[in-house]
Amino acid sequence: MIADLAMHLADLVQNSLRAGARSIGISLARRGDSLLLEVVDDGAGIPEDLLSRVTDPFFSTKPGARVGLGLPLLVQTAEATGGECRVEGREGGGTRVWARLGWDHPDRPPLGDLPGTLVPLLATHPEVEFTVELRDDRAAWTLSTRELREHLGEVPLTHPDVLAFVERELEEGLAHVGLKEER
Amino acid sequence: MKLEELRKIRERAEADLRLRGGPTRVKIVVGMGTSGIAAGARATLRAILDEVARRNLRDVTVTQTGEKGLAAQEPIVEVHEPERITIYGEVDEALARRIVAEHVVNGRPLAERVVAVREVKG
Repeated sequence: MIADLAMHLADLVQNSLRAGARSIGISLARRGDSLLLEVVDDGAGIPEDLLSRVTDPFFSTKPGARVGLGLPLLVQTAEATGGECRVEGREGGGTRVWARLGWDHPDRPPLGDLPGTLVPLLATHPEVEFTVELRDDRAAWTLSTRELREHLGEVPLTHPDVLAFVERELEEGLAHVGLKEER
Repeated sequence: MKLEELRKIRERAEADLRLRGGPTRVKIVVGMGTSGIAAGARATLRAILDEVARRNLRDVTVTQTGEKGLAAQEPIVEVHEPERITIYGEVDEALARRIVAEHVVNGRPLAERVVAVREVKG
């Protein structure tokens, strides 16, 4: 089962990739007692008539897939912590998944290993532009793979020194906005 | 972002690439959908990236894909060579490292946890 929020985010990113997204925005914010989590993409989008069903645990569009539990699990996690989860189509195509969780709620899963989970995903999809945005009430921090690539030229994001660099940056970003937790 | 550090990484890596450039010989694809991520695919992907980097394998590329209908056997690792594609199932970190060492480097596919082998017609 999905044990932490890093896995939830990775699962949402995976959905976006499957929808053929070329631009994916990942955002994580701590606002007062809430933790807001959002993934926005420019992929194929979800047809209007299916939008209400994607959070149904027995619904999946993947042929051959027995389970499509990612979104229903996120809904469950959000609601269990006094929050909510919404899946919306975006004007001009693409999808936005948004969830609010109670930060201090005992049922909120830990953030998990965000750098270790997200960075390999970002690095192995050179055709996609990712932005990661972290914020709290006081500060904001952003990472963009386009910007990284501009500085790296021909050197791929999968280069070990680059991977380590991006993971360290993300780690610092989390600390900068008060999203680093000792749990 | 520490641009100075990034610039140094780029300079070192480019010098390295000039020394060892060449076409891709093997492509490794790690399958990780919801079930794969839960089953430890992120550790598998990291182990492969790490092993490829540590051994300085410049003719190997690593990519990642979503679920492929083999959920029960995730994490899935595919080794794409010019003549065949070998698909391994339930690849944990240790097996991932052996796939790189024995299959990719030494050219000896493992006998265990092979889900399928597809010959590529030339």
